[in-house]
Amino acid sequence: MLYFDHSATTPIHPDVLAKMQSVAQEHFGNPSSVHAAGRKSRALIESARRTIAESIHAAPSEVVITGSGTEANNAVLWSLAHTDKKHVITSAVEHPAVLKVLEKLNPFGVTFTALSVDDFGLVNPSDLAKAIQDDTGLISIMMVNNEVGTINPMKDIVSVAQSKNIPIHSDTVQALGKTHLSVKDFEADYFSFSAHKLYGPKGVGFLYKRKGASLNPLIIGGSQESNLRAGTENVPGIVGLAEAVRLATAHLDKRMLHLTELESIFKSELAAANVDVIYNGHPDGRVPGVISASFLGQRSDILLAKLDRENIAVSSGSACGSGSVKPSPVLAAMGISEKQNISTLRISFGRGNSTQEVKTLVSTISNIIHG
Amino acid sequence: MAEPIIVGISGGVDSSVTALLLQQQGYDVECVFMKNWDGDDDNCTAEEDYKDALSVCDHLGLPLRSVNFAQDYWDNVFQYFIDEYAAGRTPNPDVLCNREVKFKAFLDYALELGAVKIATGHYAQIREYDDTFQLLKGLDPNKDQSYFLYLLGQDALSKSMFPIGEMDKTDVRKIAETSGLINHAKKDSTGVCFIGEQKFFKDFLKKYIPAQPGLIHTIDGKNCGEHDGLMYYTMGQRKGLGIGGGYGDKEAPWFVADKDLDNNILIVAQGHNHPALYHQSLTANQMHWISGKPPTSLVGIAAKIRYRQADQLCTITDLSHDQIHVQFDTKQFAITPGQSIVFYAGDVCLGGAIIKNRK
Repeated sequence: MLYFDHSATTPIHPDVLAKMQSVAQEHFGNPSSVHAAGRKSRALIESARRTIAESIHAAPSEVVITGSGTEANNAVLWSLAHTDKKHVITSAVEHPAVLKVLEKLNPFGVTFTALSVDDFGLVNPSDLAKAIQDDTGLISIMMVNNEVGTINPMKDIVSVAQSKNIPIHSDTVQALGKTHLSVKDFEADYFSFSAHKLYGPKGVGFLYKRKGASLNPLIIGGSQESNLRAGTENVPGIVGLAEAVRLATAHLDKRMLHLTELESIFKSELAAANVDVIYNGHPDGRVPGVISASFLGQRSDILLAKLDRENIAVSSGSACGSGSVKPSPVLAAMGISEKQNISTLRISFGRGNSTQEVKTLVSTISNIIHG
Repeated sequence: MAEPIIVGISGGVDSSVTALLLQQQGYDVECVFMKNWDGDDDNCTAEEDYKDALSVCDHLGLPLRSVNFAQDYWDNVFQYFIDEYAAGRTPNPDVLCNREVKFKAFLDYALELGAVKIATGHYAQIREYDDTFQLLKGLDPNKDQSYFLYLLGQDALSKSMFPIGEMDKTDVRKIAETSGLINHAKKDSTGVCFIGEQKFFKDFLKKYIPAQPGLIHTIDGKNCGEHDGLMYYTMGQRKGLGIGGGYGDKEAPWFVADKDLDNNILIVAQGHNHPALYHQSLTANQMHWISGKPPTSLVGIAAKIRYRQADQLCTITDLSHDQIHVQFDTKQFAITPGQSIVFYAGDVCLGGAIIKNRK
């Protein structure tokens, strides 16, 4: 299969798998147990936490392991149910793991303003400043959009939040491994991360929680994760997460360069094949390798099916929205016409893709469209 | 590129075996799951059905796509359904769903995907005869679904396949079991697809049409109770009338005999054999003939006025441009306006019409 859907998920890196396998086979102890087997598991988790922390320049105590990026978002947002200031400012192009959560929090008194974005998908920091109310208790703006790859002006957004002393969270699930991300560059309070977007395992992620930032646990029970996330830890998953994060940051420049090359080959080959296409998102303020391409006159569900028939995997809109041909709300929020919206594919390259694979992709698209 | 047969798969055993049989016959098979209803109705089983379809396709190694026709369904089937109920009639959304969604929206979609034909798990057969595509009853007399397909035309039939139409349901289930399909014992779906079981019907309808309670009269005009809204009742209905003993002369049950729409009165009759429940003839409109033209002989044709009814001999006595009159050989119980009358010549389904009223 030719896999070009790395924004949905990624295959596990062999080094990650090797580490997980050895842990799963050899170290089954409950990290909360005091005996040797338990201590070993605990040590593995704490070592993983240090690795993760180093990779994003955080302190180990600022890393809270979760079951997913979605859970990390939920933990931050549900904390609002316990606070006085219950107004949230977010953006119209957030993942459902933010927007739907905020809707569900309505009975708990939480209200929110979803900032509109410009044609590239960018939030305007001055809009953010204007939207702040007396009871604004949180700002949650994604760093990188999952459908178009546009990178928000996070530093400016964080400055606005800080100037008003409002805690700020960013869903950075699509950012790590595709753009430089050091928590030292931002004074944000929370970042959400996921392992499976980074060639790590599914079912594990983490929340960066700046020292001093408050958090109410979402999952209650034992005292794991400093009482912030109960439940016996997924030790192999956490070890895999740490290795994936380490690789993603250690090899960031190399990976970005590879993705940039693939993207430019895709675009030049597609132009050479005379395929009409419009690229969405910011022309250069984007992460490399995530392409939102509108093939006018085509329907994305039909294109997707025909590519699938040729054993090529891409997506339309976000993967969670599959099963319907409804226009993507993200593209709609960027002011893209419905006609263009439903003709859009997201093609996201990864470290395993080769130049030849990208050429095959382009020739297949060209064959489908030109018949 | 390949030109597949695209199977409309529902997660049930019939469409699953349809896909399996075509695969065994050497066709290039792909499956499509249709979602025709959006919303969080607890009774809607679409998500569970999709999971079953996915498991079956995974087991068979067939690609599965899913497509959402909720808008088509809402505009072209559901609106009609609601309008008909609001007008006091009893519509059949399934015949319309077949014409508008499964053999129109889905067929178009499949053709766009490059399919040569579509296939579904209906118990019916297609035969090409003298350059005409005929719709035939399914061979299993208990499962024949041609009644629901009478609105199909030549174009749809020429591009459709019903591979299980020549089989008994018991054999279909056996094939599913021996092939290891997880849904081989799955219960047949009943009732209207978007409502689920009959017991949910009243609550469902209430959400869309304001109920207007009124009086129940016997056919002699005697008051014998109150109804919750005429739309909740259908001709010949026995259960749920709320008329206890004590009203009639005998202990026989009550049946809905008629609806007085002008005065919002439900009219009931006692005993299944009450003459008010039987009519010799009906008029119907919105005729559709599968061959494209009306039958040449209007005498001695067979008809069904409801699904699974045995064929009833009748004569079409008046065939005008927009209405027909049908005279039955024997009186018919509970002829129901809004339902379809479907005509047959032997096993060939000729077409049908919507029942307007009865005499």
